[in-house]
Parts: sequence; structure tokens; C-alpha cells
Amino acid sequence: MTSPMSPAWTDAAAGVWSSNDRALEMARAILGSVDAPVGMTPKDLVWRKNKARLYRYRRTAPAVHRTPVFLVLPLINRAYILDLRPGASFVEFLLGEGFDVFLIDWGTPGDEDRALDVTTLVTRYLPRAARAVQQASGEDRMTVLGYCIGGVLATCFTALHPELARNLVLLTAPLDFAEAGQFGQMTARDTFPVERLTDTFPIVPGQVPDIGSKLLNPIANYVGTYTRLWERLGDPTFDVGAWQAMYRWVNDSVPFAGAAFRQWIVEFYQENRLARDMLEMDGRPVRMSAIHCPVLNIAASRDQIAPRATTSVVTKRVASSDASEIVIEGGHVGIVVGRSASQNLWPRVGAWLADHD
Amino acid sequence: MTKSEETGTGNDPFEIWRQMYDANERAWTAALEQAMGSREFGESSGKLLETLLAAQKSVRDNMRTYLETMNVPTREDIARLGELVVGLEEKVDQVIDRLDAIETAGRTKSPKRGQ
Repeated sequence: MTSPMSPAWTDAAAGVWSSNDRALEMARAILGSVDAPVGMTPKDLVWRKNKARLYRYRRTAPAVHRTPVFLVLPLINRAYILDLRPGASFVEFLLGEGFDVFLIDWGTPGDEDRALDVTTLVTRYLPRAARAVQQASGEDRMTVLGYCIGGVLATCFTALHPELARNLVLLTAPLDFAEAGQFGQMTARDTFPVERLTDTFPIVPGQVPDIGSKLLNPIANYVGTYTRLWERLGDPTFDVGAWQAMYRWVNDSVPFAGAAFRQWIVEFYQENRLARDMLEMDGRPVRMSAIHCPVLNIAASRDQIAPRATTSVVTKRVASSDASEIVIEGGHVGIVVGRSASQNLWPRVGAWLADHD
Repeated sequence: MTKSEETGTGNDPFEIWRQMYDANERAWTAALEQAMGSREFGESSGKLLETLLAAQKSVRDNMRTYLETMNVPTREDIARLGELVVGLEEKVDQVIDRLDAIETAGRTKSPKRGQ
């Protein structure tokens, strides 16, 4: 038997204590993420309806570009993804480039919003928010920029109100669900009990879409995240604050209003109405061919949430002769935040917007 | 002497885990992707979800019945009040829309009157 005083025993004990310290550091990083500072760029509330809020980001100098940028965020994620933290904020970048930036934050639906559907958001909320953008900026037309589901809302809105959009920019927006990948399989009509889900939960818990997203890559999401954190905590250059902000956003899921969830799953995923030119909102046809403004469609090469097959349709369908697509190396979230975003995506979007002012 | 022996990381359980993870992550991911991409998995997870939802619905229904018996407002009652407020806000918005439309129409007509 090895003596407790032998070098092998001492070595083993040192390893265990070192692990113990790292585990405590890891716990502190994870638990502290709840309070990680996010969405810190100063902003003013310019319009509100129910839980939705339209903000205008404060500028220290007048805007260089006349066309305001109207950011439309997804329903299932917190809006601060585009303004994560100083130095990792798309909003901050746009302000620095001289744009007047507005953002609609859908807020958190409550039980009283169970009948709130995608149609209502597109036909009652977005037009009024756009009018508030017009009034605040003094410009009749704006760049509508949508991220993920926000991109779908932005597309529908622009199709119904082409007179309001000078440009349409889509970031990883799934529009054609004919080949929707693993999400398409998860939400297939004959296996996914969407009616029972929305009957049971008038407001679908945020964990439902969150678990769905994480199951797209369960090993990386449920194991890899923590393994990598442990590994990086040993690196003196590792920015724990940046990791905490991202971790907070990833786990800060938003409930989905029951009617909106049902419409999203049935009309978009299962029936693919938008791509099949069968979508109607308030009795009006919603057609991508009604979009005449310049369009920039941005896809991520390794996107599992909005695979390339779901995003590329828009440039082929719109009536605009100025419709282009950029494919950025990365995943659904990685391309909009972080170092690669500030090097790849943001400058390209900024340059395109400046050219289309 | 290897580096891990020098630093004692050879006995670090997390280090052992990390090495195992790095060596197997791709294989685990591929296996899970294959399993979860199958129709059988979809059917099975759908059935599991249905069962969980049925249990949750039963709890909710029982709670509602209990609260109604006790003459206490249920979650649905409070949500209905909230819906009325949201509906009222929408009506106010519609009135504002109409006033805006009248104002805009008035502005476009007034120069003609002056001519």
C-alpha cells in the first residue's frame, strides 16, 4: 500500500485540490452569470404596446446616415443579444458607424397574451412601431433588420408594407421549411402535439424551444459548454465576464404566447405557407414577391437552427433586382456576437447599409 | 517526466474527463444525431411529451376546480382581466390610428384649399 506521505500520494492530493479550486471557480462563473451586465448601451423608450417596447439608442453625435435602422428581434430570445456588452454589441457598432438605431423588444408574454399570434405582431405591432420610428427619426423609410424569427416577422412586415422599407436585412432568418432539418423533424405534424401543448400551456414555457434548440447538439450544449469552461478557466487571458454574458443569454429563455407558438409551428414549420405563397395575415396575402427594396440575406455556414436550405429562398423570390446573400462561417448565434462577428459580419453589414442609405 | 506528471494534472479528475471528452465528443455527437434523427425517436419523444402534457393538464384542471370551490379567482380569471386591458389598449391604438389618418388627410388637402 502507498504511504500517505509518499510522492505519489502527495501528487494525487495536489491534483484533487487543484480540481477542487477550479470547480469552485466554475461554480462562481455559472452562478454569477445571472447578474452578468448586459444590454448596457443607453437607450430611450419611444413607443410601447402591451409588453412590446421600442427603444432608440442614444447618440453622442448626429447620425451620419439618414436611413434609420429598425431592429426586429426574435420572440424566443432576449433582445440584448444584439447589445450583449460593450465591445460585443452590434448596436454599439451601428451607432459608431453613424446610424440611428431602433430596436423592438417583444418583452415577456403573460397568460393574458395567450391569443397573441404572429399575425397580430406583424399587422398591429410592427406597423405602429414603424410609425414611431418615422416620427422619431423624421424619415419615411427605414432599414428593417430582422434576426432569426425576427427576420421572418420583418419579411412578412416588409411584404405587407413595402412603402416603409428602404432596405431589408435578414440575419439567419428561416423562411422556407421544406427542408427544415432536425427542427423540422421535431415539429412534424404527425409526432409533435402542438395543439395539446398550447391547450395545456396558454403561454408555452421558454424551456420548450430552449430544450429543442439544445437538443440539436446535445453533447456540445449540455456537456461541451462546461468542459470548455473548465478548460478555459485555466487560461489567464480568459474573459469570464464575456462568457457569463453569453451564458446568461443562452439560458435566459422567453415564454412563447400560445397562439403565436401554434401559428409558428403549424403555418410556418408544418405547412410552409410563406415559401408556398399561401400565407395570409388579416385577410391579406403575404408574398415575398411584394418586396421591392434592396435585400441583404445573411446565413451562417454551420447553422442548425436556421439551416441554409431554410434561409436562401428570399433572394430568389423578392421582386428587387438588388438582392444579395452573404454566408458567414459560424453558427446561428456565433455570427452575430463575439470576436468573429466584429471582424466578419458587422463591417460587411455596415458597409452594405452605408451603400444603400 | 511528462508535463502532466510535473504539474500533477495526471491525477486531476477533470483533466481525465476532458481528455475523454475530446477523444469521444465527435463519436458521441454522431451517434446521438443518428439516433435523434430517426422517425422512431420523433414518435417516441412525441408520445413522451403527450403523456407529460396530459399529467400537467390534469394538475391544472384539479387546481382550477379546487380554487373555484374555494371561491378564489383562478389564474384564468386574472388572465381574462388582463386580456380586457390588452383589448382596451388595442382599441385606443385604433382610435389613434384613425385620428392620425384624418390629420394626414387634412394636411394633404389644406394646400389645395389655399390655392
